[in-house]
Amino acid sequence: MLLVAVVVAVFAPWLAPYDPYAPSSPTIEDIYASPSGEHLLGTDDGGEDVLSGLIYGSRVSLIVGFSAATISLLIGGLIGLVAGFRGGRVGNLLMRITDFFLVIPDIALQIVIVAIVGQSLRNIILVIGVLGWTPTARLVRAQTLTVRERKFVLRARAVGGSDRYILRRHVLPQVLPLMLANTVLEISLAILAESTLAFIGLGDPTLISWGQMLNFAFTRGAVSAGAWWALIPPGLGIVWVVLGTTLLGNALEELLNPRLGRHFLEKEPPPQATPGAPPAQPELLLSINDLKVTFEVEEAPVVAVDGVSLDICRGEALGLVGESGCGKTTTMLAALRLLPPGGAVAGGNIWFEGRDLAALGPGELRPMRWRQFSMVFQGAMNALNPVKTVGWQIAEAIRQHEPTVTADEAAARAGHLLETVGIGGDRAGDYPHEFSGGMRQRAMIALALACGPGLVVADEPTTALDVMIQAQIMDLLAALRAELGMSLVLITHDLGVVAESCDRAAVMYGGVVVEQGTIAEVFRDPQHPYTRLLLAAFPDIDQPDRPLASIPGTPPRLDEIPPGCRFAPRCPHAFERCHTERPPAYPLGTRREAACFLVERTWQGVADG
Amino acid sequence: MRGRGLRAPPPISLMTRGSLFLRKIIWALITIFVVITFNFFLFRVLPGDPAKAGVKDPRLSPQAVAALQQRFGLDKPVLFNTQGGNLFDSQYFRYLGALAQGDLGTSYAYKSRPVTSMLGRALVNTLWLVLPAQILAIVLGVLLGLVAAWRRGTKLDVSALIFALFTWALPTFFLGILLLFVGSRYLGLPTGGRITIGADYASFWATAGDVLSHLLLPTLTFALVLLGEYMLIMRSSVVEVFSEDYILTAKAKGLTTFQIIRRHAFRNAMLPIVTLIALNLGFTVSGAIQVETVFSWPGLGKLTVDAVAQRDYPLLQGAFLMLAVSVVVANLAAELVYLRLDPRVTEV
Repeated sequence: MLLVAVVVAVFAPWLAPYDPYAPSSPTIEDIYASPSGEHLLGTDDGGEDVLSGLIYGSRVSLIVGFSAATISLLIGGLIGLVAGFRGGRVGNLLMRITDFFLVIPDIALQIVIVAIVGQSLRNIILVIGVLGWTPTARLVRAQTLTVRERKFVLRARAVGGSDRYILRRHVLPQVLPLMLANTVLEISLAILAESTLAFIGLGDPTLISWGQMLNFAFTRGAVSAGAWWALIPPGLGIVWVVLGTTLLGNALEELLNPRLGRHFLEKEPPPQATPGAPPAQPELLLSINDLKVTFEVEEAPVVAVDGVSLDICRGEALGLVGESGCGKTTTMLAALRLLPPGGAVAGGNIWFEGRDLAALGPGELRPMRWRQFSMVFQGAMNALNPVKTVGWQIAEAIRQHEPTVTADEAAARAGHLLETVGIGGDRAGDYPHEFSGGMRQRAMIALALACGPGLVVADEPTTALDVMIQAQIMDLLAALRAELGMSLVLITHDLGVVAESCDRAAVMYGGVVVEQGTIAEVFRDPQHPYTRLLLAAFPDIDQPDRPLASIPGTPPRLDEIPPGCRFAPRCPHAFERCHTERPPAYPLGTRREAACFLVERTWQGVADG
Repeated sequence: MRGRGLRAPPPISLMTRGSLFLRKIIWALITIFVVITFNFFLFRVLPGDPAKAGVKDPRLSPQAVAALQQRFGLDKPVLFNTQGGNLFDSQYFRYLGALAQGDLGTSYAYKSRPVTSMLGRALVNTLWLVLPAQILAIVLGVLLGLVAAWRRGTKLDVSALIFALFTWALPTFFLGILLLFVGSRYLGLPTGGRITIGADYASFWATAGDVLSHLLLPTLTFALVLLGEYMLIMRSSVVEVFSEDYILTAKAKGLTTFQIIRRHAFRNAMLPIVTLIALNLGFTVSGAIQVETVFSWPGLGKLTVDAVAQRDYPLLQGAFLMLAVSVVVANLAAELVYLRLDPRVTEV
C-alpha cells in the first residue's frame, strides 16, 4: 500500500493531468464543478483539478511524514540509548524530562510553536520531528536497559570491552529492529500531525498537501456546496497512507515479537464419542482406554499421546513417570478435559465412574469438575489469581458446588483446609504474592481438596521446591490419602518420590506407555529397556560409587515419530523388528504390562502356562 | 488487618499506600509548576517574540510603544531583576503573581476581555463534548473488545479489528467532515455551533434540546475515533488475561465462562485500559481541537485555533496552559485509579 503512495508521489508530474501550481484564472463555472470527463474528480474552490491536487499533495504529506519521523527517530533513539545505557542519575533525569513531554499535549505545543515561528515546510517538519521523540525514547530506553542486563553483555564487559564496543556490537543489533517497527508507526503519526496542522490553517500555504486541500475545501464552503469530491479524496489519501504504514508497522512488530494469541476460554470443539463400554470392575475409578491426543500445529496436527491406557482404583496412588515431553501431563490434562486451545482428544475413552468423559460436553462436565476430580497444576506460581485472596479462591470452589453453603461457612472451611496443609488459617486473607513458593504449592493442594474429590492429579507438585518441603508435601499427600481415601495420580520425573509414595507406576515415553505395574514389579523387575535405563540412571544409596548411566540421544520430536517402537533409536537391545513394527502392550499378569518385543516370549509363556 | 474476611481490599500496608498516593499528587503539582514555567518561557524564547507582538504596531510612536511596554511590564527583565531593587521584580515573577490571583492577562484580539473568563467558559463547553464521548467510547470499546477477544478468530473478531484499524487511520477532522456532510445534508442536523444562532427559547428543555442536537455529531465523531483504539487495547489485554494460568484453574474448578470473566478476568484486563486513558489524554486534546474546529463548537480547542489565527498571544498562552494542566490533572486521576485497582503496585 505504501509503495503505491510513494510511486504516485515521485511520479506526480507525469501522472497528474494538470499542474496545480501553474497560475490560472478560473471562471465561476470552474469552481466546484462536479466530476466529469475533463476533471475526473471535479474541481476545488479555486477551479483546480482535484485529482492533480491529490497526486501532488501526496508529495508533501510523504515528505513531511518521512523527514519528521527520521528526526524523531534520531533524537528519540539517541536519548533513549543514553538514558538506558548510562542509567543512574543521568538516565533518570532524561526519563523525567521525557515523561514531562509525554504529559504535554503534542498538538497544542505544535500549534503554539508553528504559530510563533512561522508556517513554512521546514518549520513544520522540524516541529513535528523534534516533538515526536518521546515514544521512541521510551521504547529505546526500555529495550536498552533489558539488553544491558543480559548475560552476554555482562560477559563482554568482564572481558574488558569498552562502552562503545558493547554499544555497537551488542546493544544496537537488539535495539534497531524494534526501532524500525516503531519508526514506521512514527511515520503514520507524523503524516496525521501534518494533515491536522494544515487543516487548522497552520500548513504551508504555498504548498499543496492533503490536509491543506481539506482546509481550503472546508473553509470555503465545500460542505454547503455539496462538493463531496473536494472533501473525500484528500481524506482517503491520508487514510490510505496511514493504513499502509500502520499495517506495515504491525506486521514488523509481529515478526519481531510473535504472539500466540490463543486462550483458555475459546469455544471448544464438540466432544467425540468413541464407541465402547465401561469396564465392569466397580473398584476402578478412572480407566483411560486407548487415548489419543492431537495438537494443532501450523503444518499438520501432531499426535502428542498415541493410544495410552491407564487405570486407577479407588484409594490408589499411581505414579506417572517419564522424561520431559513424554506426554504425561498432556495425558492427564486430556483425561480431565483441560487441554489448552489447539489440543483435542482424538480417540479413546475416559471412563470415570461409568461415564465416558471424552463424550461429554462442557455443560455436562462442569458439575463434575472439582467435586469428582481435581488437579494441582505444575508450577503454582500463576495458577492463583493475583488480585484475589487465597481464602476467597478456595471458598469460591466450595460455593460453586455446594450452593447451600453460606459465605461464612465457606470461609471457615477454607481456613480449615489451609490449616490442614500446614498454612495458618489466619492467612486466608492474604494474596498469592504474599506466599512463598512452597506455601503457594500447599495452598493449591488445599484448593484441590476443597470439594472432597475422589481423584486428585498432582502434576510435579514438588519440582522447584527444596528437599525438606518436598518431603513435607509428600507426607501431607499420603496422610490425606489415608484419611480421605482418595486416589492420586502423581506426575513426576522423580522415581524416588514415586517409589516412596505410590502403589503403582506407569512409565511413559514419546507419547505411549511402555510399562505399568505395582511399585515392586516395576522397580524390582523392570521389563522394558527404557525402565531399566531410567532406574540405572538413579543414584543408589547402597552403591554410592556406581557410575550413573545416562541414556544417549534425545526423545523423538512429535512431528518426526519413528516407525516402529519409539524407543528403538536409543535402545541398546533393538533389533530389526523394533524399527518397523510398533510393539503392543503385552500383559504380563494382573494389571502388569510392558510394550517391548523382548517381552513377547515371556508373555507367550504366561499365556500358555 | 488480617481475618477481616475474605473480601479484604488489597493494600500491602495502609501506610505505604497512603504515602504512594501522596507522592503521586506532589509529583503532579511539581509537574504543573514546571508546565507554568515552561509555558512562560516558551512565549519569550521563540523567535518572533510574541510577548512584544501586541505592542509592535508600526503606527505607534516610540513613546507610545515605550508606554505600552511599561504598562504590560515588558520593560522589566525576564527572570531575575539584578538592576537594584527587588530581585523578584521581573516578568516571570509578575506572571506568577498574576497567575496566583487568577489573572491571565487580556486578550489582544478582544481587547476588553480577560483571558481567564474566556477560557473558563470554553473549558465548560469542551467538557460537555469530551466527557460523554469518552464515556461512550470506553463503555463500548470495553464491551466490544471483550467480545472480540472471547470470540477470537471468528468473523466477529475480524470485522471488529478491521473497523478499529480503519478508525485509527482516519484523521479525526476527516471523520468529522464526513459526518457533518452526511448529517447536515441528509439528516437535517445543524452544521455547527452550540446553539441555533439567534434562537431564544422559552423553556430550559427547549434550549437543552437544541444544544443536544448540536452536540450529537461532534460527540459521535469523537467517540468513534476513541472507540477503535480502546477496543484494540481491551482485546489484546483480554486475550492475554484469558491465557493466564489462573483462568485454567478457574475453568478446572467448574466455573462457567461468564463467572470466570466476571470474577477473575475482567478486573485484570481493565488495568491497561486505565493506563491507556491516561496516555490518551494528549490525544483527547488533539481530538477536541479538531472536532471543535469542524463543528464550530465553542470549546477550548476552537478557542486555541482562533487565537492562533489571530496571533492572540495572551489568549494562546492561557489556552495552552489550561490544556496542559488539564492533562496533568486527568493523568493524575487515572494513575490514582490504577493504584486503587492493582494491589501489586509499590513504586511511583
